[in-house]
Amino acid sequence: MRRVVESDICIVGSGITAAMVADKLSRTTTATIVVVEAGDDTIPLSRRPSLRERFMRYGENPWGSDHLDAYEIEGPLQSRSMQVGGLAMHWGGVTPRFSPEDFRQRSVAGVGTDWPISYDDLEPAYQEAEALLGVAGEQGPAEMDPRAKPFPLPALPLTYNLGLLKEWAAKAGIAMWSQPSAKNSVPYAGRPACCRNDTCTPVCPIGAKYSPDFTWSALRRANRIQLLTRTLVRRLVLDPSTKRVTHAIAVDRDRPGTPVEFHAKQFVIAAGYVWSSHLLLLSAQPGAESGLANRSGLVGKYLTGHRNVQGYVNLPLRLYPGMNGQHSLLSKQFMRKPSGKYLRHDLRLWESEVGRGARLRDDSGALMLGDEILQDWRRRTQTGVARVRAYYDVIPDRSSELSLDATRKNAWGDPLPKLALRDAPESAALRGYSEDTIKALFTDMARAGGGEVARTSVDNFQDHPAGGCRMGGDPNTSVVDSHGRTHDHENLFVVGAPTCVSGSCANATLTFCALALRSAGEIARGADFRG
Amino acid sequence: MPALSRRAFLGWLAATVPAAAIVRRAHAAAVAHLEADPRLLRALADAVLPASLGEAGIRCATDAFRQWIDEYREGAELNHGYGTSALRFTRSTPATRWSAQLDAMNVRALEKHGRRFDATSRADRVVLVREALDKERIDRMPAVADAGHVAAALVAHFFDSAEAVDLCYEAQIGKNTCRPLASSARRPLPLARTR
Repeated sequence: MRRVVESDICIVGSGITAAMVADKLSRTTTATIVVVEAGDDTIPLSRRPSLRERFMRYGENPWGSDHLDAYEIEGPLQSRSMQVGGLAMHWGGVTPRFSPEDFRQRSVAGVGTDWPISYDDLEPAYQEAEALLGVAGEQGPAEMDPRAKPFPLPALPLTYNLGLLKEWAAKAGIAMWSQPSAKNSVPYAGRPACCRNDTCTPVCPIGAKYSPDFTWSALRRANRIQLLTRTLVRRLVLDPSTKRVTHAIAVDRDRPGTPVEFHAKQFVIAAGYVWSSHLLLLSAQPGAESGLANRSGLVGKYLTGHRNVQGYVNLPLRLYPGMNGQHSLLSKQFMRKPSGKYLRHDLRLWESEVGRGARLRDDSGALMLGDEILQDWRRRTQTGVARVRAYYDVIPDRSSELSLDATRKNAWGDPLPKLALRDAPESAALRGYSEDTIKALFTDMARAGGGEVARTSVDNFQDHPAGGCRMGGDPNTSVVDSHGRTHDHENLFVVGAPTCVSGSCANATLTFCALALRSAGEIARGADFRG
Repeated sequence: MPALSRRAFLGWLAATVPAAAIVRRAHAAAVAHLEADPRLLRALADAVLPASLGEAGIRCATDAFRQWIDEYREGAELNHGYGTSALRFTRSTPATRWSAQLDAMNVRALEKHGRRFDATSRADRVVLVREALDKERIDRMPAVADAGHVAAALVAHFFDSAEAVDLCYEAQIGKNTCRPLASSARRPLPLARTR
């Protein structure tokens, strides 16, 4: 006994890149579209204010059952989240673009691998993504922040605090501007303007921040897609003669005894950097013994990201933390072509209260209560603290990989993935230099403002991970082409994060979305269901 | 029917009543205990919160803390951390511990001053609180749920609030509240203008 669901296009996953693909295909084709999501539907907007309250008071997860049980895996998983909307239900909404150099590392600096597309190739998709997400942004200096068109929404205003921090950065010779964000600076797409609730991560209580559920709701209302939740795709099956994917085999978590098959003309894997490679590897079968799309042996390889160096700087500025604490200043000054050793990084500044919170004991260790605490707190907050953070570019190694973990299986007997992100030798050799140079920059900045660096730290994981199905022109050294079509299977696309060749040194979600939209354009162009 | 020993009774209880139900009852009993004698918590608040809040402000902060305790849920999933697949959950209720600590301070007040905790002077209550906090070796402002002592929890709860931030900066920051975006560009107005 099995259940068969037929469509023109089957999209696996319902995160932000899946939403981009479904939205574009629904606008540009007449295709029937089925979206398959392993997790549950997400929490409706109306419930988010009360769940936010519980998050603020108790630290509770505002997204309820947003994950599958028994999915504890080995390695640095970015997030456990698996639900309609994916991790982007609790993202920060931060949407800078990559820089042109990100796509030409080998040509520009002799390291890493060039992408098969340039920044200019992606520019139209960047614009499209910014319009769909509703990005509020400020044009930076043109030589640092090339754009063909203005942002769709005016920039989020700089708070009083960020205004002071911008002046401070200028004294250090650094140009900074308002961080582009998928948060409404004015009402947009039927959603209200941001009102600084300041819990963008993990939950915006009013829907001013874009999250994929808004796209899914609109597509469902318009009856343009069928979205099946609680349905885990376990395998893709090939026609041995044509090497096309004929169907996907899934388990309905509510009726596990009845397998579900999804038959479609086109299959799109939009399941993020972990679950996309994982599904391809799980789909090993005669004729594709090492997994689908894996002629090169590179499925799951070259996982990429960027490493976070951050510091807290005491400054002789009267700041008022809490005005819009998740908004920041951005600079791309250090993302352009390096003049010496290969080091590229972004730079961000936030207001901070680290080290300036109320405390119970004074410097001598004496216990304080009541007004003593308040007076001590007032005295210590006459001057402020800035958080400064740089993501630096890490060249991925081939052994930076996702593999199947034979020791851990899910409830249906499929091996879970394990992750290990590793720097390529050229990055490993420069790690000390990179982090020392960034910390020295923090020190120079502090000095320029008459302040001092209170402390610095480096994350032990790479942020905004991507890769695993890297794009390229050569089927021997890449998994998908520049549009995300797998080299091995004509009707199988992988979109978004997994297709990245490298992880840049800036938040990557906008780029994942742009890549996914570019893929959707190709799917629409090549199919016989174009509207 | 022979009487059950304590051990046998506990064994029977563990076998028949789900642990979660026992925990819920313990939490409810502690909350009920706090609510049955609100004077103790009120007197504690008067000793450890800023007097500059005034009587109404202290009452308001105490009520908010009591509500926090009342609505605490054990075993609730905490917000996901980045970089790990591990899930974390809220711990066992602090209400039972805090309720017992309030009772202990009351007992100590009776021993030391011959009066209930809430009947002693503010100065004496402060001394009793300091004794208790030193005994618990509390040296930093805790997260509320992690507070080792009810006095530290009450202080932490208040100083984590938007009201406390405004009081510290003497400005209308309104942290974590819905405020017009445009007004963020100017320095927050001073508190004195509205209070």
